[in-house]
Amino acid sequence: MTEDLIPSRRLDADLHKDDPIIDVRNVGVSFATERGSVLAVEDISMQLYSGETIALVGESGSGKSVTARAIMGLLSRRATMRKGSQIFFRGEDVISQSKHKRRALRGSQISMIFQEPMSSLNPLYTVGGQIVEAIQAHRKISRAKAREQVIALLREVQIPEPEIRIDQYPHQLSGGQRQRVMIAMALANNPHVLIADEPTTALDVTVQAQILNLLRSLQKKHGMAIILITHDLTVVRKFSDYVYVMQKGCLKEHNRTEAIFSNPQHPYTQHLLGSEPRGSAKPLQENSPVILEGNDVKVSFMLKSGGFFKSKLKELKAVDNLSLCLHRNETLGLVGESGSGKTTFGLALTRLINNRSGEITFDGNRIDKMDREQLRPFRSRMQIVFQDPFASLNPRMTIGQIIGEGLIVNGIGEDGREREERVRQGLRDAGLPDTIMGRFPHEFSGGQRQRIAIARAIVLEPEFVLLDEPTSALDLSVQAQIIDLLRKLQDEKGLSYLFISHDLKVVRALCHRVIVMQHGKIVEQGPVEQILTEPETDYTRRLVKAAFEVAA
Amino acid sequence: MTIPAESTFEPANNDASLSDHNESYQALVWRRLRRSFTGMMGLILVTMLLVMAIFAGFFAPMEPNLSTESFMPPDALRILDKDGGLVTPRIYPLVETGEFDPVTFQPLTGPDFENPRRLVLFARGFEYRILGLVPSTIHLFGTSDGEPVHLLGTDKLGRDILSRAIYGARISLTIALTVVSIVTIVGTTIGMMSGYFLGSFDVWMQRFVELVLAFPQLPLYLALTSLIPVTAPTNVFLVFVIVVMSALGWAQMSREVRGKTLALSRIEYVKAAMAIGATDRRIIFQHILPNVMSHVIVAVTLAIPNVVLLESFLGFLGFAVKPPLISWGLMLQDTSNYSVIGSYPWILSPVAFVLITVFAFNALGDGLRDAIDPY
Repeated sequence: MTEDLIPSRRLDADLHKDDPIIDVRNVGVSFATERGSVLAVEDISMQLYSGETIALVGESGSGKSVTARAIMGLLSRRATMRKGSQIFFRGEDVISQSKHKRRALRGSQISMIFQEPMSSLNPLYTVGGQIVEAIQAHRKISRAKAREQVIALLREVQIPEPEIRIDQYPHQLSGGQRQRVMIAMALANNPHVLIADEPTTALDVTVQAQILNLLRSLQKKHGMAIILITHDLTVVRKFSDYVYVMQKGCLKEHNRTEAIFSNPQHPYTQHLLGSEPRGSAKPLQENSPVILEGNDVKVSFMLKSGGFFKSKLKELKAVDNLSLCLHRNETLGLVGESGSGKTTFGLALTRLINNRSGEITFDGNRIDKMDREQLRPFRSRMQIVFQDPFASLNPRMTIGQIIGEGLIVNGIGEDGREREERVRQGLRDAGLPDTIMGRFPHEFSGGQRQRIAIARAIVLEPEFVLLDEPTSALDLSVQAQIIDLLRKLQDEKGLSYLFISHDLKVVRALCHRVIVMQHGKIVEQGPVEQILTEPETDYTRRLVKAAFEVAA
Repeated sequence: MTIPAESTFEPANNDASLSDHNESYQALVWRRLRRSFTGMMGLILVTMLLVMAIFAGFFAPMEPNLSTESFMPPDALRILDKDGGLVTPRIYPLVETGEFDPVTFQPLTGPDFENPRRLVLFARGFEYRILGLVPSTIHLFGTSDGEPVHLLGTDKLGRDILSRAIYGARISLTIALTVVSIVTIVGTTIGMMSGYFLGSFDVWMQRFVELVLAFPQLPLYLALTSLIPVTAPTNVFLVFVIVVMSALGWAQMSREVRGKTLALSRIEYVKAAMAIGATDRRIIFQHILPNVMSHVIVAVTLAIPNVVLLESFLGFLGFAVKPPLISWGLMLQDTSNYSVIGSYPWILSPVAFVLITVFAFNALGDGLRDAIDPY
């Protein structure tokens, strides 16, 4: 069945009069590892016509980036191309070309932007200098002239005051601006093809939309072809003309964007499309008692400014006198851009960081004045799931030790055997097999690790769980599973969640009420439907727009 | 334009990982260490050194404190006889040939081809105790008739340098390992406490560490040596040497461990442990210590050669263990005289042992550093 879903020629090839600008034929890439070679990409064929955008979609590890690097000729040394792989650029096979020729192609005809704008610019040089370098590498042109072009480019990518920005260093720019600089650098030599490898994943939602719009307007202006690598289906639907779906190094399906979205054929595509967070939280019972309450909670950090002899203390208010109240069995969303203080607020409410003033009440007990020893009885009743499943599990402990630690610390369970049974139950509740207790975290994928972290939290039978962006580091299809899991656990165990996120799609699927935060203050709050459909402030409107429409 | 490393690609075995293979941390480290050529070479050399030191009696051909003729040059190992015929390995002792140097009129020496001393494996020689328990007289090699053999010559008291160097490895390595253990225990404890509890303890401890680090080391070592009475018994002297060498080393170690602890205590699994109500004790021993240890192990392997070097260096300057103990530093004390080195260069041969030791531990440390953080 899969054969007819991936013909080597595009389904709409007849609609194009010209030849494809990039024609990838039977490309395979394998990596040498200690356990023999691993096939990262096997036998992929795809075509790109000038002026259009194709999207490469798939979960992490599916070989999207490797394919893009193969086209660029940027594979690492451990990688080998399969025999018979061919990549044609304007009718010429680039794989057989010399290194020198390929380098001339790179950056001038085909260029690439990367996911992480923080690390793809060299912090030691001004942004202008780096773009000038990109221009001079391919064209003989004087410095002054190149500089003029750079200013024009920066203006084109809509960086304010390009004459000043050109002499600034990367750390002086925001993440979005750095990504614009990267785009300017990629465009410097008017390439025919631009490969964008997850260009917006590392950016705030509201910035994402701006960057994608910019890419689209530049594409129209210059007539570039774009290969967009992403796992975000909203972006794909909005920006691409043709979609290639990849899984585990193989193409599964390709078709025109509308066709894929309206009528996905391959089960994996259907799975991907169905993995958008869906559903909503079960309605809450009336008069459910309050479990956690914060009144005028303030968290601030003292920053030292001024010199050694004249040091001044400046107060940075991360959480500025905020109040919140969470009912039993309720999920309250805490939403905002990065830096809005939502995580700090959450950690202060669970007393993992100290608040400067305000009252925090957990199940009728004032906990804001307690020290760590006094708080210990409450610890098992309130738990946390962190954002990064790679940092939140101790690499030296087995899964059984990680989950069982809370039981030992809090003296839950009569003896070792009973604790072990509880750990098994926790693993099963989190949707994992209970046979993995002797394994180490590094053997598991991101989604599995996040389930382990959830198991660690629920094994203590808490009443309240703080979820600090538990899904943002995960693939979309895994996200949906984790959300389903969280919802199921809430139903079964009557948990109350404080859900911190910047992704309103996830919030809609999980929360009863939402609090929108900006710069340490609450901007807006109310039931989830109301906030998402009738946002009152511009800020909320922007967030909603970014999440559901990307760039309308 | 920087290219991100290949890290975005993870081998697609996400589903497979739930199945069978289950590798412990040690196995992972070992697998990665095996890939490093220098690391493995270091490991082999270190093992050989330790075996040599432990079974010094077996490897040493001569009794280390037995005096024969002073400043004998190294015996050449030969497999050819006078006429160029192939024979079993043997040495020809030096005798006066009866001729005189035409300029200095000193008697000339030459090999005595009439009385070869044949070298054999597992020869019988002086008595020693294996591991200090089992008496034995078997040595790795020696002359068939028990006559002396000096492959590296003799020192001013006529003692065999090779045997002394092999025995010296015991004391030199003992000093190095003890000093490094003390430094590690003190440095890790102070560093972890400083990095975990912070506050004023950290501030004052770190000022003290800075003070120790700022000390001019060599004058301090030499000043401390003058404190010990010359008449002190050898064991006391040995302890004193160890204490002096440990006195300054811990500071650097505690700095490194503190930095590592600072970084680790902000990581999410430590926060998660706090969230389940774990005590400080538990967090330190369960979560921070095991993760600091990888760093410490590397630091230890790289610190050992430093102590070996320091010991030989201080020995050269006159501060070493007291005879009858033997250490490489003590042997190098004899070389502090120019004219002696000029006439009898072979007494410098303990330097080769120091060199090999330093290289071996450094190579091992280098390999370990790459292998120890497999995640």
